Amino acid sequence: MRTSDVIVIGGGLAGLTAAITAAGRGKKVTLMTAGAGTLAIGGGTIDILGYLSGGTPVANPRTGLASLPPEHPYTKAGMETITAAVDFFLTLCQQEGFAYQGSLNEMQWLPTAIGTLKPSCLVPLTMDTAAVQTASQVVVAGFTRLKDYYPELVIKGLSKLPGYQKQYEKLEIDPGFRGGRDVSTVDIARWLDTIQGQQACREQLSKQLKPGSVVIIPPVLGVRPGYAVKDTLEKMLNCTFVETVIMPTSVTGLRLRAMLLERAKKLGVSIMEQAHAIGVKQDGNGVAAVVTGNIDRERTYHTKAVILATGGFFGGGLVAEHDSVSETVCNLPVTAPADKEDWGTLRLFTGTAQPFAKIGINVDASLRPVDAQGRILLDNVYIAGRNLAGYDYCLEKSGNGVALVSGYKAGMSV
Amino acid sequence: MKKHHYNPDSCTSCTACVVHCPVTQAVREFRGPKLAGPAGERFRLLDEEYEAALEYCSNCKNCDISCPSRVPISTLNMKARANYYKTHKQPLRDWLLSHGEQMAKMAGLTPGLANMGMHNLLSKTVLKGIGISDQMPLPAYAAASFTKQFRKIKQKPQADKVVFYPGCFVNYNQPQVGLDVVAVLQLSGFQVIVPEDTVCCGSPLVVNGYMEEAEANARKNMTILQQYAKQGLPIITACTSCGLMLKQEYQELFDIEDQQLVAGRVYDISEFLLELYDQGRLNTNFAKQAGRYMYHAPCHLRVQGIGTPGLELIRMLPGIEVVAADAGCCGISGNYGFKADKYEIAMNIGSNLFETIKASGVTTALSDCGTCRLQIAHGAGVKTAHPISLVRAAYERK
Repeated sequence: MRTSDVIVIGGGLAGLTAAITAAGRGKKVTLMTAGAGTLAIGGGTIDILGYLSGGTPVANPRTGLASLPPEHPYTKAGMETITAAVDFFLTLCQQEGFAYQGSLNEMQWLPTAIGTLKPSCLVPLTMDTAAVQTASQVVVAGFTRLKDYYPELVIKGLSKLPGYQKQYEKLEIDPGFRGGRDVSTVDIARWLDTIQGQQACREQLSKQLKPGSVVIIPPVLGVRPGYAVKDTLEKMLNCTFVETVIMPTSVTGLRLRAMLLERAKKLGVSIMEQAHAIGVKQDGNGVAAVVTGNIDRERTYHTKAVILATGGFFGGGLVAEHDSVSETVCNLPVTAPADKEDWGTLRLFTGTAQPFAKIGINVDASLRPVDAQGRILLDNVYIAGRNLAGYDYCLEKSGNGVALVSGYKAGMSV
Repeated sequence: MKKHHYNPDSCTSCTACVVHCPVTQAVREFRGPKLAGPAGERFRLLDEEYEAALEYCSNCKNCDISCPSRVPISTLNMKARANYYKTHKQPLRDWLLSHGEQMAKMAGLTPGLANMGMHNLLSKTVLKGIGISDQMPLPAYAAASFTKQFRKIKQKPQADKVVFYPGCFVNYNQPQVGLDVVAVLQLSGFQVIVPEDTVCCGSPLVVNGYMEEAEANARKNMTILQQYAKQGLPIITACTSCGLMLKQEYQELFDIEDQQLVAGRVYDISEFLLELYDQGRLNTNFAKQAGRYMYHAPCHLRVQGIGTPGLELIRMLPGIEVVAADAGCCGISGNYGFKADKYEIAMNIGSNLFETIKASGVTTALSDCGTCRLQIAHGAGVKTAHPISLVRAAYERK
């Protein structure tokens, strides 16, 4: 009978990290995914920790991590694991030819499409802001017909911020898209992946850019995980490009997902797309098999362990009904305020955590699910990513960080 | 069992489908699966003539594969297309490409003549005149259909029976695949039943908007297959698009009594053999073969949520080296790539796969889908085979 050492349920950053970590340790891994998830359209940066509750910015991730409460997933994982997960990720990116930069010792404040700065930690080289920091003149480039990205807005916002009071100049690149649908960054990135696109871009920019220019652009430097487009264009034009953070669809997440999927496949992870896990078969205190429920029938897949990385409410791993909240695969208890009235606070935009954001599954230090008394509920099930209780990724800017750390820890534990 | 729900409002407009749509990548005129499908449903409530360049959708299902909210996007597109053609004229070309079964039956009287007739300059010109590509070679008809050849097989009687649904392509174009299925099932102790009165699964009809005919075919097939499903017999396919219709699309599109019962018994041949393996029933008396292959997973298999059983099975064969191409859609999407105005799009979509196969240096590519195999042979210039043919060869070398 075919039996996996571990079935990872969920193909986001937590699930892929867990699958890669476990497969790298020689485990036979099956990864069940349902849809491309938020990783494909998200920002692709690893934000470890930007703010503490109350909205206080942290000086750097490492000091911020030390002041988190005991129920926070980071505190449960511990500093040693967090450091190991960061090293693991940076090494992996380096080996795959898509290096990320950054460390737990410094914040990276990234310019956004609306002219604000977003705190992050590990970022692709296309988002290294060092060149912007030191430049006195900065060019902000936009693209004809591109929605949700306006150089004027970027300039207006940035020029009000300390360290960003510079001489700004805007320019527009025309990718030549006529008619058809709205233009997205993905369209432009695919255009810049072609030699014709790169040459057209060079022709337009070479007339307008001074040598040595620093150019802020939306994330459009190719859809593949790598720096060939960045290197080619920078060489052609003798300038430095810095990509901004934008709202979805962000090409940066697409690149990160492609890189992780390639790594997982190289390690022999067996990937099942559209496999909707709906339950498990228990054997004593553990899980013996995962059951999928597609439109035709249920199927059973045997395994020695499960990593549950089903993405919380947004990913479908947790479901809130009118009078209940549940976890959809193992039917684990979900920690939530008893009264629905207490799920939210009306103090919006005040740096206050929303109680519903912290709803999730309680775990012990090994990431195994526990009941209210702290007893382990299932011996061979580990929780990773957004399913975990006790953190508000949106307020803290810690989403991909918790996914990376918990995915790594789960992958090391099975 | 929770079925796909039809609420287009389950769409959160996340755009994962737009990013992963091969047609959107190739054609700027296509407004993308989100606007054509779930968002289009809203616009169509206001204006029946709402145009999202729906004609470009190939029903390849990559939108469904990438959707995190289980919206059957491609099926919404197909329903809208069928609705559109209720009040708009449809080209003869679409009728011809959707009715391969009728064509094949006519050709079956004189397959040699039919093949000559298809591949000469005059008929290519005529076909081009009605909108069928003169660059994508139409598949040749076999001298004798699978069902005709199956009748002559003297099977070893077995207590365990399975039903094999060949589908048009295996039946009329590549009967050898069907014969290999029968031989392999016999070697694992099954006797194969082939119901002769089943008809085309309807996949080519659905994709061109002939929804009523597709439903008539579905009802006919269901009436026949239900009898076997009620006896608990497995129903095997060796074509991933036929399998997808029987397992999933009938349920999404039509409301036929007991269709869930049939869907629950349908297996892709490799999926079935792996389940036998799990039960310790698969004959694994495989001889060592030599050979390097590249495997292409059809989109219509990937959306079934069963992984890639064909690839898993090939990896069990001693001496075979196989690499997953993992290079996206081949572009053909049933009959899409045969249309003159879609040929370039289909080739553009498949270019990544063709380059990957060429770069690998293999001389044969494997895929579970008949039209994927045609497109790969055309685009990458290699020989192709269904995984089951390699499995059969592994037994026969003993």
